[in-house]
Amino acid sequence: MDMLIAKNLGVSAALPDGSVPVIQELNFSLPQGKVLGLVGESGAGKSMIGRTIAQLLPPGFSVTAGELMFDGQDLVRMPAETRRELLGREIAFIPQEPLSGLNPVLTIGRQIDEHLARLGIGNARARRDHALGMLNDVHLSHGADLLDKYPHQLSGGMCQRVLIAMAFASRPKLLVADEPTTALDVTIQARIVQLIAEMQERDGTSVVFITHDLRLAAQVCDNILVLYAGRPAEYGPARSVFAQPAHPYTRCLQLSNPAMSGPRRALYALPERMPGLSAIKGIEGCLFAPRCPKVVPECTRALPPFVDVADGQVAACIRPETTATIAAPALSASDAPQAGVPLLEVRGLTKTFRIGGGLFRNRAFTAVKDVSFTLHQNEFIGIVGESGSGKSTVARMLCGLERPTEGEFEIDGREVSDGSTSSRAHLRAHVQMVFQDPQSALNPRRRIASIVTQAMEAAGGTSGKERLERAEALLLEIGLPPDAARRFPTQLSGGQRQRVNIARALCVAPNILIADEIVSGLDVSVQAQLLNLLMQLRRKRGFSMLFISHDLSVVRYLCDRMLVMYRGEVVESGPTDRIFAAPSHPYTRTLLAAVPPDDPSAVWSPQPLETDVVAPADMLQEANV
Amino acid sequence: MMRILPPWLRSARVLGGLTIVVIISLCAVFAPLLAPHDPNEQDLIATFLPPVWAKGGQAAYLLGTDSLGRDVLSRLIYGARVAMMVAVLASFGAMMIGGTLAYIAGYFGGRIDSLIGRAVDVWMSFPPVIMSLILMVGLGVGLRNVILAIILVDWTRFCRVLRSEVLVVARKDYVAAARLVGFSHWRTVTREIVPATLPLLITLVSLEMGIAVIVEAILSFVGMSVSSNTPAWGQMIADARQYIYDSPWNLLFPILAIFFAVFGFNLLGDGLRRTLDVRLTATQRV
Ligand code: SF4
Repeated sequence: MDMLIAKNLGVSAALPDGSVPVIQELNFSLPQGKVLGLVGESGAGKSMIGRTIAQLLPPGFSVTAGELMFDGQDLVRMPAETRRELLGREIAFIPQEPLSGLNPVLTIGRQIDEHLARLGIGNARARRDHALGMLNDVHLSHGADLLDKYPHQLSGGMCQRVLIAMAFASRPKLLVADEPTTALDVTIQARIVQLIAEMQERDGTSVVFITHDLRLAAQVCDNILVLYAGRPAEYGPARSVFAQPAHPYTRCLQLSNPAMSGPRRALYALPERMPGLSAIKGIEGCLFAPRCPKVVPECTRALPPFVDVADGQVAACIRPETTATIAAPALSASDAPQAGVPLLEVRGLTKTFRIGGGLFRNRAFTAVKDVSFTLHQNEFIGIVGESGSGKSTVARMLCGLERPTEGEFEIDGREVSDGSTSSRAHLRAHVQMVFQDPQSALNPRRRIASIVTQAMEAAGGTSGKERLERAEALLLEIGLPPDAARRFPTQLSGGQRQRVNIARALCVAPNILIADEIVSGLDVSVQAQLLNLLMQLRRKRGFSMLFISHDLSVVRYLCDRMLVMYRGEVVESGPTDRIFAAPSHPYTRTLLAAVPPDDPSAVWSPQPLETDVVAPADMLQEANV
Repeated sequence: MMRILPPWLRSARVLGGLTIVVIISLCAVFAPLLAPHDPNEQDLIATFLPPVWAKGGQAAYLLGTDSLGRDVLSRLIYGARVAMMVAVLASFGAMMIGGTLAYIAGYFGGRIDSLIGRAVDVWMSFPPVIMSLILMVGLGVGLRNVILAIILVDWTRFCRVLRSEVLVVARKDYVAAARLVGFSHWRTVTREIVPATLPLLITLVSLEMGIAVIVEAILSFVGMSVSSNTPAWGQMIADARQYIYDSPWNLLFPILAIFFAVFGFNLLGDGLRRTLDVRLTATQRV
């Protein structure tokens, strides 16, 4: 029996210049006990579907066509009370941000208790027992202690587990999980996905799994629906959509994601980005046409119809047979240049933070312990590890934002960790950092030109005109139109801001770049653009980079060597290919196993971690206060 | 030339507050031109005259006269001078001390921050009224000392509120980035942090001006501020209090003037806070 059916569903947004389709021609059916994956980049409308199910559309948005049937009832047209009865009871939700799903001022126990009371378990005693049982089901031991804790005292993974426990408390028929793992570390992500699968199997729940990760969707879903600008691009059984994508967009998504195994291949970088709401109206014919590598004039005549390409697989494309021929350009030999002389030598770098005030001043926490490595000219080294592993602290020490407690490092043969003015200047000339969050890294009050040439402003002696010229040259180099120089950061998209972030670091022509998680939070097509840009810049300028990331596939694509950090220590280091082929440390193996494999038919067997790696991150936060 | 007004100029609160503040400032600056009489000129035949619209009022004295036959309107206009002088000097003084310490504490953090934080805590543990009275007794009466007392009492307000804001901004990556490209501490603070906290600073100054007006009125009421031949609103209240049954008008007008001024500053401050505070406007937009 089908639990959730969308029939020609359409949602529109009222904009000042008329109404725009946010979702159009959406058709799918989700049988009981199955998992449907909604895949797409940000702006594809996938969260809007979750909101339509909950009837929590933003103001100005409304369902304009079709129907959405849950268990035989139309969710759109049913009275509000009936819907309220269903939501939270028969239809449960798991949000993207675990912390936003919980009330910060109430204990976990209180929140579970309230939820159970709403479900009609009258007796406080029974509710407590029930709560403990629920927590046990999601493998949270020490349930009794947990009940007295506040959300901020738990790690993100633990909060997400609490939310899963609450979602399944009513044995719902339908679960909507909106990117439930994006904010979490890989090993925890694997754990959460497994957990949802486990609970789903137990209760026979149907699941709508919203994600941007095609590989993950192929692994956990039965069917996949790929969305592009609010319109389905492709729909079909997960395995076949992943193995033989029929729509060019699906194929491009796949090719823009770095592979975890096999020979290294170049990334396919889709140009531009998905059209925003206001741009959709201006596109004629196929919405993907402006970016499609296989576009022909016929494509822009009308919206392409949905054609059956294989058993149960449909694609909205007039030339699905050409999709398989889309290929990423080959990696040239110059993309893996020979490493040159040693540029940066790190020896025994250690950082200890003193935590707490007053009586507890003496408590110390070692964030980084005895890290040593050498970075050669033209070499990209990846540092991987989970949050709290100390990788960002290493970055901050190497660019002089933090003084090492012990150990030293040499840049270009000169010892620079002493913090004197001359070594700071030396450091500045050689090392620049690209920050993680472009939102926070770009001063919203400065124009782009002023941001990217800040180093010249600091050095003094240049006129505004010189700086503007330099800014335009830099912008051109990193792939932005020169007229972006006059804009403010808020007028750029996330990917463009990250380019500006890179341009600023390149302004002094450093030979070492330190990049801290610079592609996390970006869509895969934008990520591919940036990774290719870094490769291209290395070819042209020849610099080295320390690339800090939690995403193993990105590190595999970009880096020649890698370091694996765990709780402040480097547990494994060596050539990237060697580590991926034969990891020697158990933690590295856990990390690698946590990433869904490229081949959806391969068994994905993430190893459960004993406990969440939570302590270091929490203590770090404390240390910052 | 058509230019779109910045959002803070489109807010009714800001416009209202600004209008009031401008009116009072004009009175203060151009008092000799605006006032129909010398504020200290006595007309002993025409004492306790009611305002012109009441029975027995005279056109020469629009708001009537006081116990010595002085023109109330002129005294009010001249009183604005004292009020505005205290408002401006005291709030800027408090801003200079509190603001500087807040930037130092929030930017450098660590030891310096906790030291300044301690000092603020100790300072604030004295009730402000008691502290200003003690200060006045210690410093002696006079307008300069009133200003000094307000500064010494109220710098903590700036320091505390601003410090937490500076702390937030100082943690932004763009501040670290500025340091990395070679900005000095001074340049980082003045170019990256001050512009981001300016809205809050302006708001605080505007609110502080309202507070200063009240404090000055209280102190001149008890005779600790200006000498008796300088008209001040607080003093007018004190004078009128003795004759409240003979002429309630005399009491009402200076009270209204104080109320008007404080209302103006607060309205302006509140409006600026609403329109300039990025976080607040962001949440309203959602
Ligand atoms: S219809 Fe044309 S533009 Fe659209 S996806 Fe197919 S080939 Fe590309």
